[in-house]
Amino acid sequence: MDILKRIIHSRLFITWCITLVVIVIGLSLTLLLISHSKRTILQDAPPILPDTANPTDSLPVPQRVNLFLLETVGTKLIPKSVELHLFLETTERLNQVIAALIKETPPNYRNPIPRGTVLNHVYIDSQKIAYLDFSHHLASGQIGGTTAELLTVSAILKTVFDAFPDDVLHVQILIEGKEQETLSGHINISQPLRF
Amino acid sequence: MWVRVFNSLALFLFIFIFSTPHGFAQATTVRFVDEQGETLADIDVKLHEDRVYLPVDSLKSVFDSDLTHEYHRPRGKLTLRMKGNEIGLRIRNSNVSIDSGKKTFTLSDPPRVIQGQPMLPITFYTELLPELYDVAVKYNANLQRVRIMPKTLWELPTTDTGQEWTIIIDPGHGGEDVGCQSQDGLIEKDIVLGICKEVQQIGEQGGLSILLTRDKDVPTKRLQRVQFSNQNQGKLFLSVHCNASYSAAHKGIRIYLNNPNGLLRFRQRPITLIGRESLNILTQDDFLKQSKNFARILEKEMNFLVEDPIEIIELPLISLSDIYMPAVLIEIGYLSNSDDVTRLSKPEHITELSQSIIRSIQIYSASVNNATEPKEIPVEDPADSN
Repeated sequence: MDILKRIIHSRLFITWCITLVVIVIGLSLTLLLISHSKRTILQDAPPILPDTANPTDSLPVPQRVNLFLLETVGTKLIPKSVELHLFLETTERLNQVIAALIKETPPNYRNPIPRGTVLNHVYIDSQKIAYLDFSHHLASGQIGGTTAELLTVSAILKTVFDAFPDDVLHVQILIEGKEQETLSGHINISQPLRF
Repeated sequence: MWVRVFNSLALFLFIFIFSTPHGFAQATTVRFVDEQGETLADIDVKLHEDRVYLPVDSLKSVFDSDLTHEYHRPRGKLTLRMKGNEIGLRIRNSNVSIDSGKKTFTLSDPPRVIQGQPMLPITFYTELLPELYDVAVKYNANLQRVRIMPKTLWELPTTDTGQEWTIIIDPGHGGEDVGCQSQDGLIEKDIVLGICKEVQQIGEQGGLSILLTRDKDVPTKRLQRVQFSNQNQGKLFLSVHCNASYSAAHKGIRIYLNNPNGLLRFRQRPITLIGRESLNILTQDDFLKQSKNFARILEKEMNFLVEDPIEIIELPLISLSDIYMPAVLIEIGYLSNSDDVTRLSKPEHITELSQSIIRSIQIYSASVNNATEPKEIPVEDPADSN
């Protein structure tokens, strides 16, 4: 017991105890600061993207995109909001949005893109012209009539301009990699178009 | 007691039926419009044996507000006084006496008493009024619409200048390119060829020189149509098509103009000295104003034939590109809409469409001949139908 009392009252022991307390407080403060700073980043700041992001990396949260489709009973194209896990890179995102437009026909809607249409390739040039290269179905699947043709072209253009207001100024529709005069004999699509 | 009730009911029915001497008549409404298509009045009419009968007072609303009439029931004699004439009619008699027998006329249908009221047949309007007065009256039975206009506006003269005017009428599609189709087998290329041939026939009777880009079912490329039209120095180009939509709710007539800065816009490119794009743009600038004038005339004439308002839509159109003259494309109805298919299946409707096209051409040619610089008729901004 005497030995224990002597150790407790020794200067060395007191010094060790004080050092230990200081270390514990320091560690606690550090952990608190780190956890606080992490919470701030998640809640308020945009995601930090690595400099060497892969084009097919997805954004951390799904994005809402308007696809312009026909109501079953209506005559106008109206926006149908869908949730997509979009890629980071603009061209890849454009590819995804148009692919969704081709694919999506929710209940109570009609899709003015002919069945079987495939988006072959997408490219955006330095003048913000988006070149959308579709399979031949976009033209061969037309039912005829200026209205049907206008609905097809307008659905594509409205969807693109709504989703990419700053990245795309004009849209050039291509069929199997080539410029075409028209889809079914009425509207001139030989040049880049906008509304 | 029940026998008495039965007898009373039978007596009531007997009196009711025979007080309307020709039985029950269905009620409906006929709209009267003027030459601009503006509504003059909606008149409640009766249908008797599929004939339309109008109350005498309808004449006051749409023709002569000072009209007076007398009806002598026992003798079935109806006398109308309007615009300085006394018109004597008899119920169930088709003969008409004008100004105490100075002139007589026979109507296709006689006046009748329906539910106690003397009623005039629609033929009183369509046959007698044009005979006595300076008016043309046209009745569209499909739409229950009557158009009253000064005769001078309807009966356009067969102008001497007609032969100077070569009109190019372009039946869309042809050959393997059938255009759009209805579910029950109506094919666009056939319908438009039929109507264009009728337009040619009616136009040539009226002294117009009309050429068709195709007069039979043959494939006709766009450049063939362009060359044919430009080489024949047409003064006006009208391309006739049928429409189709992914929505069955789309119906009616649409008129389209070629404008690269319309509802859809081409990207502006710097104009080169000799370049295909710059030549196209010049073509549009040269003729867009006249094309709009003709489109507006067509719209007014066609409004009488269809229920829904007609839209004029400006778009970059390949089918009107490189045509060096005022050019318009008309879609005469939707083969994807059952009402329009029924309408386009009727030969009388095709004839009405053809006549309206010819009238539009005549009105347009008269406006150009009467003015070196035709006034622009404002075209309303097309509603964004998409």
